[in-house]
Amino acid sequence: MVGLTSAIIGGGASIIGGLIGGGAAKKRAAAAARETGRLKRKLSSLENSRQAIINPYAGASNLSDLATDLSDRISNPMANLSVATKAAEMKVEQSDIALANTLDTIRATGGGAGGATALAQAALQAKQGVSASIEQQEKSNEDKRAAGEAQMEQAKLAEAKRQQGIQISEGQRMQGLDAAGKQFVFGQRENREMQELDRTASLLGASRAAAAQASSDQTSALTGTIGALGSIGQKLFS
Amino acid sequence: MENKNLFQNLYLKQFNESNAIAYNERFVSGSSDYNFQLLDNAYRNAGRTYAKLKIAIETNNCMSEDCALELTGIKNLEESPQASLDFLSSLVAELSVTEESSFDPNNNYKYTAANSLMNGRPGFSKTDGYQAYLDLLPDGSQQIVFLGPAFETPLVINNAALNALLESDTSLVVSTPDINKDMLRLLTEVGLFAQEMISENGELASGAKISEEYVMMNPDGSFDYEIIDLGNGKGRNVLKYDLEKIEKKVTPFINAEVAGLMSSEQDVIAAWNVYISKDTSVEEDAQMAQNANAGDTSWIYELDLPLQQDKKVLFESKYKEYFMNNYLKQFTTNQLPTVKEDAAVFDLAEAKKAKAQKFLDDNDLN
Repeated sequence: MVGLTSAIIGGGASIIGGLIGGGAAKKRAAAAARETGRLKRKLSSLENSRQAIINPYAGASNLSDLATDLSDRISNPMANLSVATKAAEMKVEQSDIALANTLDTIRATGGGAGGATALAQAALQAKQGVSASIEQQEKSNEDKRAAGEAQMEQAKLAEAKRQQGIQISEGQRMQGLDAAGKQFVFGQRENREMQELDRTASLLGASRAAAAQASSDQTSALTGTIGALGSIGQKLFS
Repeated sequence: MENKNLFQNLYLKQFNESNAIAYNERFVSGSSDYNFQLLDNAYRNAGRTYAKLKIAIETNNCMSEDCALELTGIKNLEESPQASLDFLSSLVAELSVTEESSFDPNNNYKYTAANSLMNGRPGFSKTDGYQAYLDLLPDGSQQIVFLGPAFETPLVINNAALNALLESDTSLVVSTPDINKDMLRLLTEVGLFAQEMISENGELASGAKISEEYVMMNPDGSFDYEIIDLGNGKGRNVLKYDLEKIEKKVTPFINAEVAGLMSSEQDVIAAWNVYISKDTSVEEDAQMAQNANAGDTSWIYELDLPLQQDKKVLFESKYKEYFMNNYLKQFTTNQLPTVKEDAAVFDLAEAKKAKAQKFLDDNDLN
């Protein structure tokens, strides 16, 4: 074949051998380049058609809304304590009745003005006692109201803390799930992409190696022919 | 419309392969001159031209200002031997595609004739009226011209044009993709076969079977067999496959394969013309490659490139059919049960009776 082609093209057998070798190498290089292109498109199509990676935690919702703030239901049971004035009023009434009876007795027995004065003072003392009792009750109520207020504040604070606790813990849970989901998606994608990348790299590497080898073969073939071409070159340019 | 390329290519192929000329006494008795001497002729006057240019420059007798033309001429001449070698080696490689067994005869037949000439095939000599020239053109490029009875008009190929084609990863003559190799590889990639069914060299092992998850099962977990009639009242079970599930599984892989092929649309046309269009069986393809192949449904390189979307869709669909019918079908038909006792030949009448009884039992119809 080389001999015949040599006659057709002209020049030495080694030139033609080089031409054929170089041509075949070029063809292999082109085929390798086309194969690389084909593989790239195939992989791209496979990547596009693959099943979407789902985040299994994507549906997780923040449940902190379910926790309701109950603090508005907290009230001070001691806020409206009434003073027990009935007993005091009865006591005043009784002392008034006792005073009236005593006055009647004094009048009946012909008691003097000094007795009446003493009696009026006794009555006054009795009423002062009643007043002191009411005051005492009112102070006690005030104390209880304050204590109730303090308890209520404590309860409200506790409820607010509970609410905050729920929100923080739910928020942390959501963040955890979100992160885990992202990590899962990333992990899956990473795995797949690494597989694809490995495969692509391997295939492309093979194609490129084939192209490089073909190119090297081509160079060797043509380098051989250049030596053989010497006669033509010398004839031409000497 | 007559497909001239198809006709001429098949004629040339047959002419070269038949060895008919060996039985032609006139040919055998005469001498044939194959001495086209492409390089010798091309460079015959090159030395003189080179010397003239050199002298013009050295004696300051240039035709152009600052000897620009003369210097360019010298540069071109100095580079031309290497360019000639590159050109001829690329051309020889391109034309050799016409000799591939799966060559698409819809390629330009002139390349087949040029290949015959370059390879000194009987009947393509100067004596037979053929001629070839390599011309060094003033612009520094080169062209080869083929003439002769097989060329209605001269075939002219310019090296700059050829280089541009090759640089852009296309070609003068399309080499048909090896669809058989591609589909055998695809079989291993579609995920129907377990890894152990695939040999180390990436091919399906002999006796490979599709994974059981694609086999039809009864609700009780037993295999849902199809009974085939062997004749003489005998029958045997064969596996039934969930073809819908199989198709769903393989489709993305087939689409990817086609997408890969589409990276070179001329390859798609070649594959269409040689294999896919007629949806022939594997056995038929060997025959079809020699014959008209796609025939009147051929796609024409000159007219159909770039491929229209409808043709791409049609190709994808027929490619899938081709794969399913010619490569996958053998694994989904007449597959014997994997359960040994179910694989035995049995009396057909009894089996049918048993099957009917099972149906009655299963549906409480007794």
